[in-house]
Amino acid sequence: MDKDEIFLGSAENAVNKARQMGAQLAEAYISSTKELNIDVREARVETMKLAEERGLGLRVIREGRTGFSFSTDLSPQGIEEASRQALANCENTAEDAYNRLPSPGRSYADLDIYDPGIRDAAVEQKIEMARQMEESARAYDPRVKIIESSAYQDGESLITVVNSLGLKAVYKGAYCGVYIALAAVQGDDSQSGFDMDFSLKYKSLNPEKVGREAARRAVRMLGALPVTTRQAVVVLEPYVATGFLGVIGPALTAEAVQKGRSLFAGKTGSYVASDKVTVIDDGALAGGIVSAPFDGEGVPTARTVLIEKGLLVQYLHNTYTAAKDGVSSTGNGVRNSFKGTPEVGATNFFIEAGPHPAEELFRDIKNGLYVTEVMGMHTANPISGDFSVGVAGLLIENGEITRPVRGMAMGGNIIEMFANIDMVGNDLKFFGSKGSPTIRIAGMTISGQ
Amino acid sequence: MDAATARGGDFADIFVEEKKSVGISCEAGKIERILSGVDAGAGIRVLSGASTAYAYTNDLSRDGLLEAAGIVSHAAASGKKGVNLEFVDVKPAVNFDFKERPEDVPTEQKVAVVEAADKTARSVDREQIKQVMVGYGDVVQKVTIANSSGDYVEDERIRTRLVVQAVAASGQVIQTGYEAVGSLCGFELFKRYPPEEVAGTAANRALEMLKAKPAPAGRMPVVMASEAGGTMVHEACGHGLEADLVQKNLSVYTGKKGQVVASGEVTVYDDAAIDSRYGSYRFDDEGVAARKVNLIENGVLVDFLYDRLTAVKDGRQSNGHGRRESYQHKPIPRMANTCIAPGKTDPQKIIRETRNGLLVKKMGGGQVNTITGDFVFDVAEGYLIKDGEIGPMVRGATLTGNGPEVLRIIEMVGSDLGFSIGACGKDGQGVPVSDAQPTIAIRELIIGGASQGKPNGKIRRI
Repeated sequence: MDKDEIFLGSAENAVNKARQMGAQLAEAYISSTKELNIDVREARVETMKLAEERGLGLRVIREGRTGFSFSTDLSPQGIEEASRQALANCENTAEDAYNRLPSPGRSYADLDIYDPGIRDAAVEQKIEMARQMEESARAYDPRVKIIESSAYQDGESLITVVNSLGLKAVYKGAYCGVYIALAAVQGDDSQSGFDMDFSLKYKSLNPEKVGREAARRAVRMLGALPVTTRQAVVVLEPYVATGFLGVIGPALTAEAVQKGRSLFAGKTGSYVASDKVTVIDDGALAGGIVSAPFDGEGVPTARTVLIEKGLLVQYLHNTYTAAKDGVSSTGNGVRNSFKGTPEVGATNFFIEAGPHPAEELFRDIKNGLYVTEVMGMHTANPISGDFSVGVAGLLIENGEITRPVRGMAMGGNIIEMFANIDMVGNDLKFFGSKGSPTIRIAGMTISGQ
Repeated sequence: MDAATARGGDFADIFVEEKKSVGISCEAGKIERILSGVDAGAGIRVLSGASTAYAYTNDLSRDGLLEAAGIVSHAAASGKKGVNLEFVDVKPAVNFDFKERPEDVPTEQKVAVVEAADKTARSVDREQIKQVMVGYGDVVQKVTIANSSGDYVEDERIRTRLVVQAVAASGQVIQTGYEAVGSLCGFELFKRYPPEEVAGTAANRALEMLKAKPAPAGRMPVVMASEAGGTMVHEACGHGLEADLVQKNLSVYTGKKGQVVASGEVTVYDDAAIDSRYGSYRFDDEGVAARKVNLIENGVLVDFLYDRLTAVKDGRQSNGHGRRESYQHKPIPRMANTCIAPGKTDPQKIIRETRNGLLVKKMGGGQVNTITGDFVFDVAEGYLIKDGEIGPMVRGATLTGNGPEVLRIIEMVGSDLGFSIGACGKDGQGVPVSDAQPTIAIRELIIGGASQGKPNGKIRRI
């Protein structure tokens, strides 16, 4: 029997068992994953890690109450124990009429998300990738002295969702990627740099480029000093812009809106950003690292435009929040593992690429800062949007990048910042599942000495 | 173990784990979620020179384990070495007694704790407390550890925690109060920390913050009260004392053993063997008995935190700090209960003698660059000190500084000691820790006043 048939069988058993024991609705989610991690230091394999994991998450609903349990034991006894626990847990939770499961019958997109080339490639080749990445970083500049980690990673997963309404869904996906973190050292000055490239296609990985990019990021910051407080045009590197996007992400979920902790509550149909800005979540994005035909509840994934040319269009939903708002789930019932319930979350989440090559964003800036690092992003208040972060980057003078700057602070309000975006680059880059192009903000106060 | 070392290797071990956990969350006065379950699996490791091969599986059958062992055996190229499979029980230095085991406590009783916390927090001020979030969790972790040196350890860790977050609003101002308690113990946690008290603290903190004025910005003396806990020492200094970072040259303390790295007032230790603290254990996750490790004695750097691998590199024995999140992770040097040792000065005297500055009573979240030790922390509860007296509360303050530098400019160390708890996330592996410090006076830190940071009690590292 194939593995997918075995797990489908276990999931059906779990749903049937839970029904027999008294659940009105039941849903079984089984994930089976394999992962390989290779960490190289000084051309030698420091750690090689192989992982195999599978487990069941069981959700039951009885009289509007929901209960959840999980187990790595998929034997009949394990499934029975999980059913018993899920039902016991559901006795103590609050009743809520919107606790529902999705109905079957919707079709799933046929996505190109399983590249057998990842599994077929020899481990030696994968080790070589991490080695090449380390080597190209060192070769970039002799001041690249510390390689914190140079790693190759891949994984594949088989996901099964079955519910008592008749929904049955299975998919197989795989990803691979490389990641490097390093430091450049000159005298007492030490500056860190990193880069990553995660992909669904083994052949598309370019470790040399990733190594060079990480080295470039560290070396260009050597000798950075604070400058005076100033009003400046700010250009955010894709990684930094992605960080800011990450701060507003949770506020675009219907869960945050319904619980009154979203700064976007009540704002659909109004402008929440400059008309240069379009924000999209696309769970079926071609080449997207977390693309899948369905979400953690078996609902088909989709492209959801959240902010279109500055206008707030809609929020992300799972089955529960959609039922509460009387709309359809957007396929954003995300599970981090079989050990958790499907919560509203982003999938491939990004600012859409704009019309300008990145260098055009710098051209007419007399006095600006190219922000390449942010510290303390988490202190941004997700309800008010106020933030105050430490920043480092490169000074822009008369359209040219002149010197590295660090120890500066940048404060403001994230909604105002998004309203002041006046140019968006065409260089959309993903860091895992989130991404952004280079973006330019008309004016910010940068505090320094 | 025999299969894992079939082709050689310097050292091999197996870590078998069964973890049963329960989580209850309450929001908007409703018990939203009750989750429970079991996660069981085994991790097998072979060390060969500086290389680690690691495989894990949750197929605990004989075949499943042999397959994982077979995979890691390929990593060793050094030929068969001596493997001792005559396992001997390792003796612990301490024993802990769990009084009320979580699996013997009915779910209703756990729910009652959560409801009591929710109700109390709301009743503190029915007008201004707008939202209360309560989280309860317990974990019963059983581990079996065996290695190629013949060590054999069976251990059980039970941890219980309660987290309360209250959101208060008045007009346009929204503030958050957070309080968390947790320990290596069972349900008896709530005898030590009644849920009503935890909730009251969180709610009152949020309410007080509503009235607080925005913090001033600039350089000023800072007094950290013992209640603030040791977040700063953990994040800004502790990581630099972990032997892996030291050996990789990623720590400011590399090569500084025997040197003066802190003010003479400062002694720092990590003690996993303290009874009933969140970071405590009898054995670490490599089966090494827990003990107290002095790291900085009167300002002089004396030792680092070691696991087995880093200990071998330095030609010494592990000091019991090899920890892992689960069977899915290889052990690495980690902190447990990290403390700045109490001194002799009366905490009240420290405030009096500081005259003007900022008093920090509760730390929030933060971010640290571990290579340099530069940090930014939120202050979740802070007061101005004026003429040696505690003045008005201020909100939105952030502390910016450098961890190793702070240890050098600690001018007074109080005779008290306060703990805080957290989940430390080094290398993506979360482990429970606690940290502690007495009231301390720091000559000067940069205070940022603009942030309205939501204290999350968790720490993010870059």
